Amino acid sequence: MRLGDVAWRGLAARPLRTALTVLGVALGVAVLAATLIASQATTETVRRAAQELYGSAELRVRAFDAEGFTPRSVTMLRQIPGVLNAAAVSEKRGQVAVEPDRVFPMLLLGLDPADEELIRPHRVASGTFLDPGQPEGVLLTERWARDNGFGIGDELLLNGRRQGVPPVRVVGLVADTGFGALASGSVMVLNRPFLANAFEIPVPVRYVDLQLAPGRGDEVQAAIDAGFTEPFVIETVADAELQLDRAQAGFAGLAFLFSIVALAVGAFLVANTLGMTVAERTREIGLLRAAGTTSRQVLGIVLRQGAFLALAGSVAGVLLGMLVAVALIAFLQSTRAVLVTGVPFHPGALLLAALLGIAVTLAAAALPALAAARVSPLDALRPSRQPGRRLGDRLPWMAALVGGAVLLGLLAYPLDRGRGSPAGVLLGAGILLAGTLLAAVLLQPTSVVVGRPFEWLFGAEGLLGRANLGRDRVRTALTVGALTIGLAAVVALGSVSASARATADRWVTSILPGGYGVRLGVADEVDAIRPTIEGITGARLATPIVETPAVVIRGGAAHEALLAGIDPTVFQDEGALIFTQGRRSAAFEALRRGGAVLVPEPVAVRDGLSVGEGIEVALPGEPSHRLEVAGVVAYSLPSRGADGALLVSLAEARELFGVTRGELWAVARQPGVPENTFRSAVMETALGLGGQALTAADLADELGRTLGRLVGLFDVLALLAVLIGGLGVVNTLAMGVGERAREIAILRSHGMTVGQVQAMVVAEAAIIGAVGGLAAVGIGLLVAWTTVTLAGPREFAAGLALPWGVLAAVVLLGIGVASVAGIYPARAAARTSITENLRHFE
Amino acid sequence: MPAILEARDLVKRYPVGPRAVDALRGVSLTVDEGEFVAIMGTSGSGKSTMLHLLGGLDRPTSGEVVIDGVNISRLDDEQATLTRRAKTGFVFQFFNLIPLLTVAENVALPFVIAGESWAQHRARVDELLEMVGLAEKAAHRPDQLSAGEQQRVALARALATEPAILLADEPTGNLDYTTGTEILDLLWDSSERLGQTIVLVTHAAHAAAYADRVLVVQDGAILDEIALGRRRDHEARPLIARLAALGL
Repeated sequence: MRLGDVAWRGLAARPLRTALTVLGVALGVAVLAATLIASQATTETVRRAAQELYGSAELRVRAFDAEGFTPRSVTMLRQIPGVLNAAAVSEKRGQVAVEPDRVFPMLLLGLDPADEELIRPHRVASGTFLDPGQPEGVLLTERWARDNGFGIGDELLLNGRRQGVPPVRVVGLVADTGFGALASGSVMVLNRPFLANAFEIPVPVRYVDLQLAPGRGDEVQAAIDAGFTEPFVIETVADAELQLDRAQAGFAGLAFLFSIVALAVGAFLVANTLGMTVAERTREIGLLRAAGTTSRQVLGIVLRQGAFLALAGSVAGVLLGMLVAVALIAFLQSTRAVLVTGVPFHPGALLLAALLGIAVTLAAAALPALAAARVSPLDALRPSRQPGRRLGDRLPWMAALVGGAVLLGLLAYPLDRGRGSPAGVLLGAGILLAGTLLAAVLLQPTSVVVGRPFEWLFGAEGLLGRANLGRDRVRTALTVGALTIGLAAVVALGSVSASARATADRWVTSILPGGYGVRLGVADEVDAIRPTIEGITGARLATPIVETPAVVIRGGAAHEALLAGIDPTVFQDEGALIFTQGRRSAAFEALRRGGAVLVPEPVAVRDGLSVGEGIEVALPGEPSHRLEVAGVVAYSLPSRGADGALLVSLAEARELFGVTRGELWAVARQPGVPENTFRSAVMETALGLGGQALTAADLADELGRTLGRLVGLFDVLALLAVLIGGLGVVNTLAMGVGERAREIAILRSHGMTVGQVQAMVVAEAAIIGAVGGLAAVGIGLLVAWTTVTLAGPREFAAGLALPWGVLAAVVLLGIGVASVAGIYPARAAARTSITENLRHFE
Repeated sequence: MPAILEARDLVKRYPVGPRAVDALRGVSLTVDEGEFVAIMGTSGSGKSTMLHLLGGLDRPTSGEVVIDGVNISRLDDEQATLTRRAKTGFVFQFFNLIPLLTVAENVALPFVIAGESWAQHRARVDELLEMVGLAEKAAHRPDQLSAGEQQRVALARALATEPAILLADEPTGNLDYTTGTEILDLLWDSSERLGQTIVLVTHAAHAAAYADRVLVVQDGAILDEIALGRRRDHEARPLIARLAALGL
């Protein structure tokens, strides 16, 4: 036998503990690997989607305003020297119906099949591509069709179509990439001429993609700049990537945070397990030392054990991570919250996850190894192991360990993400981990209070269970800490999500006076539509919101912006808009007088604008107008960027900028008209106009659902961390039961029943869970509060919302997971032989 | 005096590899109420096994144990535990106090295990601590006590519920002579003053000399029974002479 064999035998002697620890490391590495793979998948999907959207086109010429391009402009673009091919795309937000009660909001895209074939590949999963000979033929995305039960040959109706327009018929299903990646897959692709004339209001060309001859880019751009008369913007593949990517940035940060959390929990577990093993084997190590084994050799033995756990856990974790990644990506696809297709198993990501797992595990093994190396030969002669290790002895090391885990994660970050700052994520991870360490320090006083209900509930078993927590404070603290992190992440997610939801409610309510709306899909003359909207049965008022793209000039720099015209009196009377600067009444009065503008907060912050200052606003190619900032609003109507629209009065929009067409109408219900009746009336009118009915509640619900689905995903990851923490509880309690075998035998000899012994251990576990759950509530709320506070007043204008249900559920989950984890040790305790354990102790 | 503990033809067989070893081979005995009985024997003679069976901590391979009229050998584990809780008290060689509980809490442990409020039994706990001379250390933890003090706490705990029978397994085995004698005095006092029935397992003649009757165990069977009678001097010499005569 070699000395190294002692390491393996030490692990083999406790197969369950070893297996649970390997599983803990594996789960941590699995979460890390899965998030790395998923992050990579989103990045690749974005790139692929952008490339497929552009195909071989180098430039996209987009109409600046909602009017779109005239056929003449499209022809002119085709004829520019250096343009090999051009593909015009028209688009409209509309609704598709199967039956009156089955209506789907969709993005309708009009393409010219012949041009498309030359510009970009369309991956038709089944059926055929569009055929000009079959004008009513349409394409749906494969996933959307499957989710909603449609297939090739099915017929659908365009809501609000002109009289005589036939139903459309599904001729093919396309993959969820390219155009299929837009609007979360709710896309219908039609023949452009068919779409253009399907509604009373023609659907214009919104952009034209140009395939250029090699090296002719500059020349073509110059020709467009010189000769094109309609306002336009030129975009490239990089712009498309950026736009698609913006929506995913939050996912990358959160995924990274959870990788760190999972790794840190795994580190807690390893540190605790090896610490327990060393403590348990102090006498044996003392004997080895007495027999001449050097400190270095002892260190080597424990590090070998750590290396085995690291290697086995990491390899298993990578394999498990691949499975988790498949599930994760499938879940992401189903939520449509993040653009992702395919599961890229890049060896680099897998290797990185494995290496990080090994590094963190080995780091976690270092302290127990050093503790083992310090064991004196005299320890072999002492009657029992030394009690009372202080938490303070280990705390700095644990802090260094989790700090190291974060740093290692940071090193991995740039390898995977080329975007966004990790500062916010780091802060979140830092608070989470520091809070967990603090919770570990405060464990003892907390458990005295938290344990009381369990004493009332379980009697003697609860009393002893609570007392047992004080036996090895370091071990208990690490166990509680490992359980707390995942639970705290659930609390933080729930609180941030509730805060975002509350803010979404405020946002939607603040920009939609009256709470109901009609979106036409394409802009139309306000005066022409007004009688129809005002004629909605039960409507108290109807007010248009007109929009036009514009540029804001300040300090010599011009920014693209959206300018919206609103009725100041209606908005004021209905209590719409939240002002962060400027007095409400004065601001609306200024709008009514004219020469004034309300700016959304992001614009005010970016441009350093405050009330009373002036900005120059212009339509492309037209003279600018100076407007005075009358107020800053927290939310405005959404624009293509993240800024939101600048708001002027309807009169100003018409007189200064010539905007007379609007796409959105806000509608209010008369008092006494039942909500359902009014909603039906709004829907009916909206459908008749080929548009869509909106309610503030539905919009807020939709935002909430999207957020909820994404949060749900991360909840799953956090719960994996809780599961790892649960394994820690099994390990700790199993060890504790083994150590206390004699004590349990004494309790049994004094009349404690098997059931009482089991209850005692489960009570101990439940108290660990309760302490972990309560600590998690505090830490999670702190993380959420920091997130909400740092994000600024706009993102979370409603402040920190407390999700009471989630908070209660987390405490119960902590108690539940820990109690279930306590069952095995409890059964082991119940099997304790009284006579064996009374006989064989010194 | 009526018998409070009766063992009938107790056999305890342990499997050791492919063979079976008889730790007890058909032991029968009776202990009367208020009697102080010592079980003596060399190491491995089976005396501790006998105590475990008599106290219901273990089940005999065959035979019966009747404690205060209850045949504990026929009960399931749950019922045996409840009977043990109600009718027996144990003192072990290594004190076996719960380190996380105070002295008073350790004494009150049988009440707590029975699901009773220990505040309800405060007077009884104080009385027992007074009896063992540790009233002032009620709030101490076991690790703040000397070995003798810890054993006195264990004795107080064993007497807490006024058990029908007190079983003590080498209670002085881990103590010096003087401290051990203090514990034996306490045991004798409880027998003398409270009429407590005691079964003491020991290998020390000076400890067994406190008993009214000594059962000498060898190779899993009772080799001899030595009646000493109730004496205040606890003189060990007559017992030692009898043991010598038995070749022990």
